[in-house]
Parts: sequence; structure tokens; C-alpha cells
Amino acid sequence: MAELLEIKNLEVSFDTPQGELQAVRNVSFKLRAGEVLALVGESGCGKSVLCKAIMKLLPRAARIRSGHICVDGTDIAGWKEKEMQKLRGRLFSMVFQDPMTTLNPTMTIGAQIAEAVLVHQPRMKKEAVRSRVLELMELVGIDRAEERMHLYPYNFSGGMRQRSVLAIALAGNPRILFADEPTTALDVTIQAQILDLLRDIQRKLGTATILVSHDLGVVARVADRVAVMYAGKIVEIGTAEEIYNDPRHPYTWGLMRSLPALSRGKDSLYTIPGMPPSLIHPSKGDAFACRNPYALAIDYEEEPPLFQVSDTHYAATWLLDKRAPRIVRHWEEHAQPEYKCVKEQKPQEILLDVRHLTQVFPLTKRTAIRAVDDVSFQIRRGEIFGLVGESGSGKSTVARCIMNIYRPASGEILYRGVNVCDRQEFRREKKLLQTKRQLIFQDSGSSLNQRMKVKDIIAEPLKISHTRPKRGSCLEEAAFQLRYVGLDESYLEKYPSELSGGQRQRVAIARALVMEPELLVADEPIASLDVSIQAQIVNLFSHLQKEHGFTFLFIAHDLAMVEFLCDRVGVMYRGKLVEVGTVKELFAHPQHPYTKELLSAIPAPVPGAARGKLDQMCFA
Amino acid sequence: MRQASENEKFAVVGIRPQETPQEETRQKWYKGKPLLSMVLLGIVFAGCMGSRFIMTKDPTYMDLLNYNLPPNGEFLFGTDTMGRDIFSMIWYGGKISLLIGLLSTAISTVIAVIFGAVSGTAPQWLDTLLMRLTEILLSVPNLLLVILLQAILGKPGIWSISIVIGVTSWTSIAKVVRTEVRQLRSSEYVVAARCMGGGFFHILWNHLAPNFVSSIMFMVVMNIRSAIVEESTLSFMGIGLPLEIISWGSMLSLSEKALLTGSWWIILIPGIFLVVTLLCMTEIGNYLRRQVNQKESNL
Amino acid sequence: MKKKNYFLYYGRKLLIFLVSVLVLSMTVFYISRLAPGDPLVSYYGDRVEKMSPQEREWAEEKLGLNDALHVQYVHWLNNALHGDFGISYKYKRDVMEVIGSRLGNTLILGGIGFVLVFVLALLLGILCAWYENRLADRIICKVGTVTSCIPEFWFSLMLILIFSIELKWLPSSGSYTIGKEGDVWDRVLHLILPMTIVVISHLWYYAYMIRNKILEEVRADYVLLAKSKGLGKRRIVFGHCLRNILPSYLSIMAISVPHVLGGTYIVETVFSYPGIGTLSYESARYKDYNLLMVLCILSGILVIFCNMVAQTINEQIDPRIKGEEALETSEVVKI
Repeated sequence: MAELLEIKNLEVSFDTPQGELQAVRNVSFKLRAGEVLALVGESGCGKSVLCKAIMKLLPRAARIRSGHICVDGTDIAGWKEKEMQKLRGRLFSMVFQDPMTTLNPTMTIGAQIAEAVLVHQPRMKKEAVRSRVLELMELVGIDRAEERMHLYPYNFSGGMRQRSVLAIALAGNPRILFADEPTTALDVTIQAQILDLLRDIQRKLGTATILVSHDLGVVARVADRVAVMYAGKIVEIGTAEEIYNDPRHPYTWGLMRSLPALSRGKDSLYTIPGMPPSLIHPSKGDAFACRNPYALAIDYEEEPPLFQVSDTHYAATWLLDKRAPRIVRHWEEHAQPEYKCVKEQKPQEILLDVRHLTQVFPLTKRTAIRAVDDVSFQIRRGEIFGLVGESGSGKSTVARCIMNIYRPASGEILYRGVNVCDRQEFRREKKLLQTKRQLIFQDSGSSLNQRMKVKDIIAEPLKISHTRPKRGSCLEEAAFQLRYVGLDESYLEKYPSELSGGQRQRVAIARALVMEPELLVADEPIASLDVSIQAQIVNLFSHLQKEHGFTFLFIAHDLAMVEFLCDRVGVMYRGKLVEVGTVKELFAHPQHPYTKELLSAIPAPVPGAARGKLDQMCFA
Repeated sequence: MRQASENEKFAVVGIRPQETPQEETRQKWYKGKPLLSMVLLGIVFAGCMGSRFIMTKDPTYMDLLNYNLPPNGEFLFGTDTMGRDIFSMIWYGGKISLLIGLLSTAISTVIAVIFGAVSGTAPQWLDTLLMRLTEILLSVPNLLLVILLQAILGKPGIWSISIVIGVTSWTSIAKVVRTEVRQLRSSEYVVAARCMGGGFFHILWNHLAPNFVSSIMFMVVMNIRSAIVEESTLSFMGIGLPLEIISWGSMLSLSEKALLTGSWWIILIPGIFLVVTLLCMTEIGNYLRRQVNQKESNL
Repeated sequence: MKKKNYFLYYGRKLLIFLVSVLVLSMTVFYISRLAPGDPLVSYYGDRVEKMSPQEREWAEEKLGLNDALHVQYVHWLNNALHGDFGISYKYKRDVMEVIGSRLGNTLILGGIGFVLVFVLALLLGILCAWYENRLADRIICKVGTVTSCIPEFWFSLMLILIFSIELKWLPSSGSYTIGKEGDVWDRVLHLILPMTIVVISHLWYYAYMIRNKILEEVRADYVLLAKSKGLGKRRIVFGHCLRNILPSYLSIMAISVPHVLGGTYIVETVFSYPGIGTLSYESARYKDYNLLMVLCILSGILVIFCNMVAQTINEQIDPRIKGEEALETSEVVKI
């Protein structure tokens, strides 16, 4: 019997001005009916391109260079657009990453689902279409479908939109569903819901699913089999149990180890050193060699073939060659979680005191939204305080109020006893407040001016405050700070667009550090980074904090990294601070239901398990 | 022996620094650039600026014996109905046409940037007021403004016509500047600079200006173009530059007479120079615009 | 409840419209009074020169020219509201009468031209977007860029030179041959050249805009979803992309009404076509301020009205855009 989908030696490349970018290199795998295959890898590893290539949704600059895409034994790699059209929706369809942009904003949700229903059954009666739309909406968990089908996408929240996209994708009863990072753009708690929904639907309808994700922890919930991709190739593929319990490729080890859940109780997170390679001029040998601490000499010479570990488990690493030495994996040694010793509770002075902070934004003339509602907390000198909450919970507003970007509607913010909300006091202490408090943003490409060189970006605060640089010139100061955050001097002359996300974030940190701040406020500094890079940045923060001893307000949307980095945590929910406590207390005895939900949403690298099961395993 | 090398091959060596191959660009520097337009515009520009060295006759001299001659050996492009040498007038008048284009664009750009920056950084109510004002100003037909301004500034001349065109053509750039400034103002690096205590001018100079320059560059080029068109149209209609001040537009104002006598060269030659110049500017403008947004199609 | 809201909404629009027109008329009035030239001349014509100083004073007194400007304005406004806009100096006739005799011609030229531009631009834009970067698209784009670069007056001259003087196919001026006022075919012949210029000189700007807007839509993420559910290219372009740009296109076209009409002014002058354009040109040359003022206010009203229509279209049709943002995104940028 032929497999439902079989990919053989697929190669996809893009034409770029710099040369040919080999996005997918020699990929082969099989997908059986009714199973969930997860494709995992860092951004730019070609996982999303692979899915789009199978559906022939790639832009014109991309082309399938060679390989076969066989559906039930028929090769569709050479099929024309007209023929592909008939397959799309019925054989396979896709759920995309960002539900905010994938729905047509000018059509009602119902109309968009109906369109998908009608494509394949143009003669369907109006009433039948309507009932089918309602059925689909109920299937994906949109209640009150009757009235909601007449709403426009902008009336919907992110999670609801993703459900609608899923309904559209399922309209033609496809046999294969591609889910391209379906939860990345969503809040953690919603993320878990959507994943559960995917799994439920998959079980109900028996749709084979290819789930693309950058997070091994996320896919553990749903995947039957897992394929790990790196630099355009599948480096390891196997059943979920095999991958999670017995990974063989050093890259998979790295991915697993950088999950914060596995670093509990250690001083620093494990990180994969370096960055993914450029796919335009791939270097000789294994693309992962230059990041692999266990690299063999041959890795720099020859690309490893896929070695068979078991019937279902394959990995492309020379370590599996019988001539290679046996490596003992360290990460398994830490089964015992210990919390790092909490710093001595010396009666430190309170550096930042937020009292009854309330912020209101007018929506229209009559309505207003209470973004922050009576929030009070204190941060002591030298402490790392985490503020966690979903998007729209008001955590960024708090940060911006602290930094005097917004004026709070009411309440006080005392910084070293200075009420920063009071204009007179602010003016009197202006210099101190502007130099001793620094802000770091989420990396979105807009936190650094695209038209300034790195050296100018780092030196900007010095120029603004007319401070004499400690190390002679601004340039030397910039070079020093850059080295300090782990980048060499060659980056001084570069523009932000030439840097990767992690490097840009390092530059932003260097800019904040140049003034030697007392208080560092970081607003979701790692949210848009890859897992392995996230770990690098968190390690950097942790290291810098130890050296500098600055006070740190760390804002995040999930608890995974907070647990590792912070001393105390506050959880925000709908503008209110619902829970504050030390990391230990909060994780051990969460009080508020939302905190419990957040905790259960932490991705656990255990197949098929939600958080509860992991806890049992870890604390057993 | 072979065993040894095999073992060596499979020894753990860990992370080795690997040289990253220099990303060389496959394409030549001029690829995609409007080369032909740049060269042509360069020639016209150089010719006009150095008109002194090219002119074969005094462009203002009215040779009453040789009027309305078709192109010939002595008068390369012929003479107009007043007996002036068109070849010399083209270069001499081109200088004035281009000058008016540049001057009026400079004026309109300065007004637009100031207006746009103020409107973009101002509080909501002032912004709304300013935008309403521009709308009303736009609704007053240009013709009236031109006549009034000319009346105030006296007899039409290079300066007065530049000011007239400049003052009436800044609104579209101003709107773009305003939108850009509004967008940039909330971007994170500006917020960061404000947190560090960067003042208004620091932000304007270091952050806003370099970023909106690229987005208005295309419009500025297009503005030069439309200023030249407007000058020639006004002069052609007889409410711009007078006949004595030679520009491509005022040369064309003789064309109604030329139509009667069928002297095609009086209409055709200055017109071709005008159109070619405009076309080159458009090509360059479009190139600048393409630079700003590039994305692949999904279809 | 809903009805009341609509009433309020349009009531507010009407109020804004009236206030804008008032401000406009005030501006134009003040400007025309500031402009050089003796306003007495515009009332009494050449007779002014023969007047004795006493007569002049009396006349000024009667017309209220000695009053403060704002008193004069109120006076003028009062007359205007009763339908009296004064006399045209050049034509020695009531201003409204002069304008009325020309308005029809301009409406025919501008109106038909506008509809043609509107329809052809849409077709051409879709055609170009459909064949993006293929030969057809490239050729149309190049030709379009060239036509958009040619100044209207010179283009008109060239057409006259070719079709009227060399080939003698079409008439070069006026709206009819003298003696053949009632002949429809003759009028059509006179319209061909001016209409061609009006259409060609505006066509590319809008066609290119449509093309770029469609291409922008085609690059949006929702196209991928539409494609992955099995829709064909035609259904995506017409059912999704076009549908999304139509509101903004409609509003841009509404803003462009005065633009296209303004374009006819130059064409009218070159072809000596008796319309509003030639009228304003003449009134400007002969300093006929009474006439010019009314013409300015009329075209100003048209601009304001069209802007408001555009805004209303945006607010009512497009579910995405609300309120003030509408006009910002759809501003007309002349290229």
C-alpha cells in the first residue's frame, strides 16, 4: 500500500540577489494517514518552505529543483497550477502562523468559510452551505456560531481567528492538514487550547497533520512522530517517544537542553552556541558542525548520511557511525531539580515602589479601557522581578509608566523615593532618572534605528546626556560594551538590518548598559527570538546582573524563562496584578486560577504530556 | 595506517571556527538602476548648466532677417517666429526651466517638511486643524493663488514663478511626511531615545529625518518634474514667464503662432527636450520608489 | 435608534460642509479684494474712467467699498444668498448667466472623460496586475509612463499638428463649426481630440495605482489562505483583492473629480473649447474678479463635496476603516 504522502529527495531553492539560497536540501519522509508529524527547527531552517513547497504555495522566486512529491503513489511534483488547485482544500490545506493577517479583513467570517465550502461543491444549496458553515464553526469550538458568522475578522480575538482559519482549512475535508506554527502568534494559554483543539479534531476526523513549530516543548503535546530540521535538512526523524527519550543528533540534544523546563535549578540555561548558517553558500561537511561541541573531524569534511537507529528512527550524524566514539549525554544526569539558592534576604532598600497604579486609555469619546487597574508592587535593589501576563494584560503599560512614557491616570511610582509621576520632582531629578533607568524592547526590528550604525546606536545615550565616556572615546566605549554582550568589534560598523534577531537584541542591551543603569526594564526582550537564542539572551541577562548588580524588571508572556531568571514574579491578568511571590512559592503553590493555567501551559518536553505529568516526573 | 587515519577522522574535535564565505553580490552595481535615464538627464543637465560653451548664437538676439526658418546648417534647430536661434535657446532656456524646477521644489519641500513634522508631532486637535486647513487651501484653485501671488510679487520672473509653484505644491509631500512622522514617533527606537532624555531636535535630526528622507525622495523628484510641467504650462498660457525670459515653457508659448504657419520645429524641439527630461526624472523617481518597497507575490 | 444615528451622521457632515464652504468663500473674497485692480472697474467697466471724483465716491459709497472688509463680505454674502453674484466685467452680463452658458460644455467633456478614465483605468490596472512583470505588463507600463510624462498642452499641440494640420481629419478648436450648432456629429468630431487628451493624460496615473494596489493585496497573507483552500487565481483577484481595493479606489476617484475637471481646463484653453476652463483663464487674464471669484468658489465647493463623498464612502463601505484614518490612507498623490 502506498503511503498517503511520500517526499523523496526534495530540493527547493530561492533566487536571491546574493545567490541561490538552498532552503530545503535533499529531504525525504513519509506521512501515513491519520498521524501527526511535527517538523521542528529554528527559524530559517526551511520547515515552513517545505510545507509550502508541497502545496506549491511558494512565490515565483522559489523553485523545486528536484525530488518527488508522491500522493498515494502519484508524483505531483511536476503538476501545473490548474491541477494543483483541485488538490488544494480537498487533499491538503494549511493553517498559517499569523491569524491577524491570514483572514480577508473585508469579508465576514461566515462568508470566508462558505467560500471554502463552495469551492469544491459549487452546486451546493444555500441552506446546506449555511448548515455546513455552522457545523464547521462548532467543530473548531466557536460557540454562538449563528450570530458570529456575520462578524468581521477584526471583531475576533487572535485565538478565535485561528479557529476560523482552521474551520476554513477543514472545509474541504482535507486528508492532510499543514499547520505552520499555528500557535506562535498567540498567547500561551490560548496556544495550549489551539493545540488541544488540533489534536481533538485530528482524532475525530483522522486528518493526517504536519505540525510545524520551533519549539520541541510545544509539539510534545500532539505529535506522533517528530522530524527535526536544521539548515534545510531533516537531521533526525522518529516517533515522539524515540525523539524525546532517546535523541541521537547533537542538534536535538541542544534543542532539548535549551528548554527551560530542563534547566530547572541550574545556574545557567544550556544554549546552542553560535547561529544557524547561511544557506546561500553552505560550507562543506555537516552544517551543524560549527555549533556542535561533539563535532568529529569528519563532520568538517563530509556530510553525514541518515543512519538508522530503529525501524522508525533515523538521524544524520557521524556519531552513529560504528567507528565513532560513544558520547555520554550530560543532560540526562540532572534529573534532580534543585532551586538555585535564593539570595540572602538582606533588608535591601526598596528601589522601585509602584503604588496603586492605574492607567486608562480612551477608546472612543465615551468608552475607555482600564489597561492597568490598581497595581502595586515593590522591587528591591539588586532583585530580578518578573512580570508575566498575556498580551493586553497591561504589563507593557506598567513598564512604560515606570519609564515615564505614559502618565498614569492615578497612583504613584517612587524611584529611590522620587515620585516620577510628579512633574516637578521629575524635572528636578531628570538627569538621574534618565541615566539610571534604561529600557529594552521586544526585538521587532523597530527597536533600533535602521539607518544608524551599531557604534552610533550604542553611543547614543552618551551623546544625549553629554556624559564623558569612561573609556576615552565613544567608539571605544561602544566597542567595550559590544564585547561585553558577546559581539566582536567587527559589528561596530554594521547596520541593524545586517544582524540577526539575537544580535540586535544584544546591541539593544549594550545600548542600555552604556549608561551603567541601576534599573533595567526589559519589555518582552526574548519574545520574538528562537528558543536557542532566547536561552543565550537569558543567560546573558543573568550573567550581566550578577556582574553589575543592577535591578531588573523582566517582562514576559510566559513563565518558562521567568522561572529560571527571576527572584520574584508578579502575574498580571486583565490589568490587575493577581499574584505576587517568590518564584519558588509561585511555582509550588499557585493561588490564582490564571497562574495555574499559565503554569500548565509551559511546554513540557514529554510526549503527549501536559505539565501535570512533567511535574510528577520531575518531582517524583 | 589506514586505521589510524580513520580514527583520526572520527575523533571528537568540538567546535572549530569556520570561515564564513564572503557573500559576494552576483549582480553588477548598475543592475536595476535606470542607467539610460541617468545618462540622458546628466547630458541635458550638463548641457544646460554649461550652456555658455555650447550655444552657437546669442539666444536673446532677434535676427529679423532669419525668422521662422526650419532647421538648417547655420541654425541647427531652426529659428522661432521672432528670429531667435532655437538651438541656443534650448540650452539657455533649459537652465532656467531646471532652475525653476529645483528652486520651487526646494521651497515646497522645506514647507512640506516643516508642516508635516509639526503636524505629525503636534497633539491631535492641532493636527486635525492643520489638516483641515490644507484641505481648504487645496480646494482654492491653483489658478487664483497663482494670479494673486504674482500680483503681490510683481512682474513674473524666475524667483516669483518658483515661489508661486513652490507655495502651491507642497501639500502632498506634507501629508506623507506627517504620516511617516506619526508612524516613526511611536516606533520603539524613538521611544527609547525619549527615555534617555533625547530632546525634540535630537530625535528629529537623528531618527526622524533620515528615515522619512528615503520615503519622500521619490516624491521630491516627482515634484521637480511637476514643477517644470507647471512652469511650462503657465508660460505657455501666457500667465507664467514672459517671452523675454527664455525657458522651455516660454519658447512653447509661441506655438499657437507656429501652428498657423505650420512651423513644426518650434513646437516639436523644445517639447521633445521637455518630455525627455520629464521621462528621465520619472524613471529615476520610480526607481527610488521601488527601492522602498520590495516583496514577492503570493500568486 | 439606528435611523436617528444616520440622521446625526449626515447632519454632522452637512454642517461641516457648510462651514467649509463659508470659510472657503471668505478666503476667496478676501484674496480677491486684496488682489490688485480697482473693484469699481469690475462693476462699472470702462465708465469708471469717465466718472468725476464725486461720482466715484458716490459709487463707492453705494457699493460699500469704503466699509471695512468684513462688512463688505457680509454684504456680498447676503447678495450671493439671494442669487446675485454681480456682473461680469468682461461679458457685461450676470455672472451666473455667463457660467451657465459654458457649464454644459465642460460637464460633457469632463464628465464623459471622467467615466472613461474610471473604467479604462480599472481594466488596464487589472490587466497589468494579472500579467505582472510579463511582456504585456512591461509594455503597458512603459507606454503609460511616457504618456504620463507628456505635458497636456504639448500633447494637445502635437495632436493638433498631426490630426488637424497635417491630416486634416479633425477640427482643432471650438465645440462646433459655426453655422452647424445643432449638428450632433459635428460636436462629436470636435470632442474627439480634447477627450483623447483628457483621458490619456489621466489614465495612467489611476491605472498604475490600481495595478500597485492589486499587487499589494496579492502579497497579503490572506491570499495564501485563499489559495490553500483551493481558489483559483481569477477568484482570488476578483473576489478578494479587487473587492478589498474597490472602496479606496472609489474614494480616490471621488477626490479626483476636481482633478480631472481641472485637467480639462488646460485642454479647453488649447482647443479654445468654450467651457469653464477657458472662462476662468480669460477672467484671470482680464482681471474679471467677480467672475473669477464665483468660479473659484464653485470649484472649491466641488472639491470639498468630493472629499466628503470620498470620506463617506470609506466610512460606510469599508468595514476596516473607521473615522478619520480613511482619508489619510487614500490621499491623492500626483505623480
